[in-house]
Amino acid sequence: MFNNVLLCTQGTDGAKKAEVFVFEKMEAAPKLKVTVLTVLDEDWREMTGDDWLNSSKTHTTFLDHVENQMNEEITEEWQRIKTSHPVAERATFLQRTGNIAEAITKTAKELGCDLIVIGAWQKSKRFSIHSTRVGLRGTMKNKDLHPLLPCPLLIAP
Amino acid sequence: MSQIKEQMPTLIMGGSLLMYGLIAKSGALLPMAKYLQTHKTMDLQVTMTLIVGIIAIVGALINTTRKSGTTNIDTFILRPLGGIVLILVMAMAIRWYAEPLMKLISKGLQPALGFKIYKVLNLNYVVLGILAGVVLTNTWGIPKFAGEGVKCARFVLKMGVIMLGARYSFAELAKLGAYSVILVGFFVLGTVFLVLWLGNLFKQPKSMTGVLSAGMGVCGVSATVAVAPVVKAKSAEMAYTIGTILSFGIICMFVFPTIGKLAGMSPVQFGAWAGTGILNSAQVAAAALAFNAVDIETLKVAEIFNITRVLFLPIIVLVLATWFGKETGQKLSFKSVVIDKFPVFIIGFLILFFMSSVGLFSPPSHYKGKYIDVSYNDRSQVTPEEWETLNVAMEAGEFSGLTPTQLEAVTNLVSQHQIAGNFDDRNDKKLFDKTGRARMTQLQGVLAAAKAKQVQLSADVKGAIKHAVKQVKKKSKTVVTLTDFMIWFFAFGLIGLGMQITKKAITQAGGWPIVMGVIAGVTKATLSFFVVLWLIKDVVLN
Repeated sequence: MFNNVLLCTQGTDGAKKAEVFVFEKMEAAPKLKVTVLTVLDEDWREMTGDDWLNSSKTHTTFLDHVENQMNEEITEEWQRIKTSHPVAERATFLQRTGNIAEAITKTAKELGCDLIVIGAWQKSKRFSIHSTRVGLRGTMKNKDLHPLLPCPLLIAP
Repeated sequence: MSQIKEQMPTLIMGGSLLMYGLIAKSGALLPMAKYLQTHKTMDLQVTMTLIVGIIAIVGALINTTRKSGTTNIDTFILRPLGGIVLILVMAMAIRWYAEPLMKLISKGLQPALGFKIYKVLNLNYVVLGILAGVVLTNTWGIPKFAGEGVKCARFVLKMGVIMLGARYSFAELAKLGAYSVILVGFFVLGTVFLVLWLGNLFKQPKSMTGVLSAGMGVCGVSATVAVAPVVKAKSAEMAYTIGTILSFGIICMFVFPTIGKLAGMSPVQFGAWAGTGILNSAQVAAAALAFNAVDIETLKVAEIFNITRVLFLPIIVLVLATWFGKETGQKLSFKSVVIDKFPVFIIGFLILFFMSSVGLFSPPSHYKGKYIDVSYNDRSQVTPEEWETLNVAMEAGEFSGLTPTQLEAVTNLVSQHQIAGNFDDRNDKKLFDKTGRARMTQLQGVLAAAKAKQVQLSADVKGAIKHAVKQVKKKSKTVVTLTDFMIWFFAFGLIGLGMQITKKAITQAGGWPIVMGVIAGVTKATLSFFVVLWLIKDVVLN
C-alpha cells in the first residue's frame, strides 16, 4: 500500500517500537523504501541558559563540542538500528537540524514519502536514576505537526 | 518593502517612546505618577524616553534604507537595535509601572493575606525583569526582530560589573577580597570534591561528575559551558546538569533574599552568602539587588564574591582537566585551559577601580572630601525597612522633643523617602538644592542632639537618619553617573538573560545529576549561611 516510508526516531522507547514496526514491514516487502530520519532540535543552541561570564571563544568551543557529541551519538544510534535490524542496511539514514515538526514534514515532502511513522508518546523517565537517557530531550506537539503533514502519519503502538 | 516590515516594530516602539516622552513633558502624567510614587523620576522618564525614542527611529530608518553590512556599527548597533529597544522598553515599564503597581497591589492585599507579597517574594524591578524575560521567551518566544539584541545582554551585564569597579576603595576591596578568597576557596573546592565523591559513591561516569562538579561548585551554567568540552561530557549529561543548575538557581533567587531578611542579615553578610551559595552568577546579582535595590552595598559585596569565583574557574578547569586526562591520556595546553578561559572583563573592572582610586573621576574640589547631592535619585532613598521605622516612630510621637525645623526635616524625609528639596520647586534648581541642604543640616542636628542625649531616639531611628544623610553625600559626579548607568545596565542585562532561560533547558533536569546536584547545592547553601553569619560581623562600606 505504501512505497516510501519516513521513519522518525530519536532512540526513545516509543521510537524503538516504531523501528520494529517499520523494519518488519520492510522485511515482508522488499521493494519498500525506508528513510530513517533523526532530527536535532535547533533549540539545543539555547541550552547555555543565562551564562554570561564566558568569552565568545569558550561559548563557541562549547557549542562545537555539543554538536560533535550529538553527531557521534546519532552515528552510534544508527549503528544500533543496523545491528538490531539487519534489513535496515537497505534503508537510507538522514540527519536534519531545526524545528522537529518542520524538519519532519519538509523532509517527507522533499523525498516524496507517502507515510510518516513515529513512536507513540511514552511516559517521561527523566527523573529516573536507573536509566540515563541518551541525547537531548526533544518534544514535538501534535498541534505543531498535524497542520504541516504532507502525507498520512502513523503512530506505531 | 520587506526591510520596512522588519523594522516596523522598532519604529512603533520608537514612536511610542517619543509620544510618551512628550506627554510626560507636558505634565499630563504627573497625577498618575504621584499615585504610583514615581513622580520624582519624571525628569528621567522624559529624558530617557525621548533619547531612546529618537535613537530607535533614526536607527530603524537607516536599517530600512540600506542593506546590513559587516561593519562594527552594523554588528553592534544597527542589527541588535530592535532587541535593545525592546529590553529598554521592558526595563522602563517595569521600573516605572510594574514595580510600583506591585507595591500598591501587595499593600492592598495585606489585610487579607497578613503579609506583603512584594516583600516576601522581593518582587522589585530586578526580579520582575528576569521574570518578564522568562515569561516572554517561554510563551510568545523572543520576537524575530529582537533576537540579535537579546544576545547583547551578556555584554551589557559585563559592562555593569566593569562600572561597579569605580565604587570600591582599596580598603573595601582588600577586606572583601580576603573574605571572598577564604569563603569561595573553601566552598568552591569543597563542593567540587563533594560532587566528585558522590559520583564515585553512586558509580556515575567521570564525564558527568566532572561537568556537574564545576557547575555546582564554581559558577553554575558558565562553569558547565567551560568544563564540558574538557571532560568530554555527553549531550545528555550536559543537558541534565544545565537543567538542574537552572532550576536550582531560580529557586535560590527567590528563597535567598527572603531567608536573608528573616535571619536579619546585614547587606554585607547577605552579599557574601549569595556570592557563595547561589550557583549562577547572574542570579547572584539578581538576588543581591532583590535583597537591597535601593543602594548597592549588597551588590558590591556579592560581585566581589562573584568575581573571586570566576577567577577560580580556570583553576578548577585545570584541576578537572588533569583529573580527567589521567584516565583518558588526554593532554591540554595551559593556554587552552587557563588563558582562554580567563574572564577578560575583570581587567576592565580593575582598570575602573584603579582609575577611581587614584582620583581620576573626582574633580580637585571634592577629590578628598565628598559633595552633596540632594536631587531625586532612587539610590538616595532610605531602604523600605528604614522608612517603616521612621514612619512608625513619627506616628508614635518619638520626635516630639525636636525643634520645629528639625521636625519639618524629619517629616519631609518620611514623605519623600530621601533628603531633598520641595517637589514643586524642582525646576528651580538653586532653591531646591538650598532647601535640601538645609534639611540635611537639620537632620545632622537631630543626630547630634540624640548623641548629647537631648532627645531620646531608638538605635534604628538614628540608623535610618544616619543612612539618609550618608546617601546624599556622594563621592564624585562621574562615579554617581557611572553608578546610574550601571543600575540600568544590570536591569537590561538581567532581563536579557531571563530571556535565555527556556522551559526546554529547565525540563532537561533529571537523573543522577538532580540527586547529586540537590545534595551538593543544599549543603553548600546551608553551610555557607552559618559560616557567613559566624565569620562576617562588621565590614563598613562607603
